[in-house]
This record gives sequence, C-alpha cells and structure tokens, in this order.
Amino acid sequence: MAKIYVVTSGKGGVGKTTITANIGCALASFGEKVCLIDADVGLKNLDIAMGLENRVVHTILDVVNGKVSPKEALVRHKQFKELHLLAASQIATKEMLSPEDMKRITSELYNDFDFIIVDSPAGIERGFRNAIAPAERALVITTPELPAITDADRVIGLLDNAGISEENVRLIINRFKARMVKRGDMLTTEDIKENLAVDLMGIIPDSEDIIVSSNRGIPVILNGNKGRNSVGRVFENIASRLRGEMLSIDKDFETTPNKGFLELIKRIFGRN
Amino acid sequence: MFFGLFRRKKKKEGSRKDAKDRLQAIVSGRRHSVPVREVISHEVVGTPDKDMLGQIKRYVAQRFKVEEENVRVQLEEHNGYVVIITNVVFH
Repeated sequence: MAKIYVVTSGKGGVGKTTITANIGCALASFGEKVCLIDADVGLKNLDIAMGLENRVVHTILDVVNGKVSPKEALVRHKQFKELHLLAASQIATKEMLSPEDMKRITSELYNDFDFIIVDSPAGIERGFRNAIAPAERALVITTPELPAITDADRVIGLLDNAGISEENVRLIINRFKARMVKRGDMLTTEDIKENLAVDLMGIIPDSEDIIVSSNRGIPVILNGNKGRNSVGRVFENIASRLRGEMLSIDKDFETTPNKGFLELIKRIFGRN
Repeated sequence: MFFGLFRRKKKKEGSRKDAKDRLQAIVSGRRHSVPVREVISHEVVGTPDKDMLGQIKRYVAQRFKVEEENVRVQLEEHNGYVVIITNVVFH
C-alpha cells in the first residue's frame, strides 16, 4: 500500500518538478516502487524533467476519459524499472480534471506502489486542489526568499483546511546558499522553520549540477552526482527520510557545490 | 583599480535581519490565529457558541446544498475582531 505525497509550494519556479523527479529516482534507487503523477495539466513538465517526454503515449486525461486504465497509462523509467510516471496532458485545462478523478486514479494504483508522489502545479486554485485531493502527506517546497516562504505558509494553511495537518507536512528548502547565510544575507533554515512551524525534510543547496542534469533530462543522481559531496546525496537523504530513516538534517549540509577559482580568489581578497 | 582588488569591502550589515523581521510580520498575522476563547470571555462571545456554530453549519449546508459534515465553521480572533470562518467543501 502506497504512501501518497503531494509536492506543492504555492509559488511557481521553486523547483517542485525537479525535486519530484529526483526524489522519485532516489526512492527507486533504494528499490521502492514509485509512481509519480504530474498534476500540472496544461503545462506538464515532469516527463521532461525525467527525460521521458518521448515515451509518453497516454496521459492522465486519457485515464479520466476512460480510454485507458491508470496502469496502462504509466510510463516506465529507462534506468529504474520500479519508477513509473503518469504524465499530464498539454492539450487540456486543469478544469478537465477533478479532485474525485485524482482520488479514483490513485486508489487504483494504491496497492501496486510503495510511494505515489503527485507533482502539484503552482498556485492555489483548481490544479492545486486536484493535486492535494488524494494525498495524505505533503512536501512543501520553498526557496529562502520571502515571496516563496510566505506562499508556503499560505499553502500549509490550505493543506490544513483540506485535512492534511501540520504533522503530515514537511518542508524542503531549495536553492540554499550557505555562503549567503554565513554572510548574513540569507534567512537561515532555523528562521524559516520557526516561522512556518513545520519540520524539515531536506535542504537542497543551490547547485549548477541540477541545471546541467535538467538540460540533459537526466535526474541529478543519475548524472554523475552520486558522490559523497554531491547534490545527488541530498536527494538520497530525503528519500531515506521518506522511508522512515532518522537521518539528521545536518547531513544535507555535508554537500558543498564546487566553487570556481575566481570565486576562491574573490573570497580571499574579501571582494565577495 | 588594480589595488582595489586587494582592498577589503567595508562590512555591511546583512539583509537577513530585515528578511526575518518582515517574514515574522507577514506570517504571524496570517496563519497562526488565536482561538477566540483565549482572548474574549464566554460572556462576550456568547456561551452557546456550539449552538451558534451548529446553526451556521445548518444554514450554510442548506444554502449551498451540501452535507453538513462538508461545512467547517471556526471562530477566530484577528486584530481585535471576532472572525467567523466558514469552509465549504463542494465535492
């Protein structure tokens, strides 16, 4: 029986889809059966983030219209045989899907997976309501900037109203810049946690590796980023926590993105 | 210009404190509302608030043609006002 998570944020562009893809891969690398559902109908990005855009035959809309069953619409990942995607349709609107449809689809997949992760669209309207409808737990993504954090706060309130209480909500801070925090120019993880009053699931450093892997359509843990100090390690940490391991958040700080020579020189001479 | 490279920048105070203060101001007034009973006495709100909430529930359920369990009514205090929040689930 699957644990059903929704990945949401309120604000767009904070990294929901990239994080969903990478957590899915990390979980699958541990042998978990994972189904990722793209609920961003009309825009659809999850297939692209996973490099599966050419493999999609059926979409969630085909399932809603009864053309195929949810299982028939799944696309299997190239490397991870236990990782599946239910892609969104681009030629549709969020109104063509209802929260009941989402509940029905996930209930049909419930017994075949260990994790079902729904990637929510930005915003708090119909698409958001569709995405959260089947979920029992939520991963709220934010970056360390005020607009993203205040939107995350709003979303946590809405999740509570929808029956996903704070103890079932975890926060992931994306694009964290340790150097800016050290300099006193960025909110610390404690500042964010204190104000949002939910526990942390992970802290993902700002990393060029994520952009590179996204360009290639290869999730970051599969793109040569599995080393001890790589950003891929953070996704593995998050996956471990989702599996119930008590892994300290401090482990996420052990990854340090590579700094260029010029950056190093600037730091030495205090120009940064 | 060359020697400028070696000159240390004057240390400015970081912007973290500004961000933290602003975040606190925005968030504290929004989600973490106080249950009305903690700030206003029973006499002021009216003791039978259960009855009041029930009546609102019944009215809203009838008005919007939904089941009563799909209506959630909460009393909260916001900046000195008693606010009645009603959530209706339509599906």
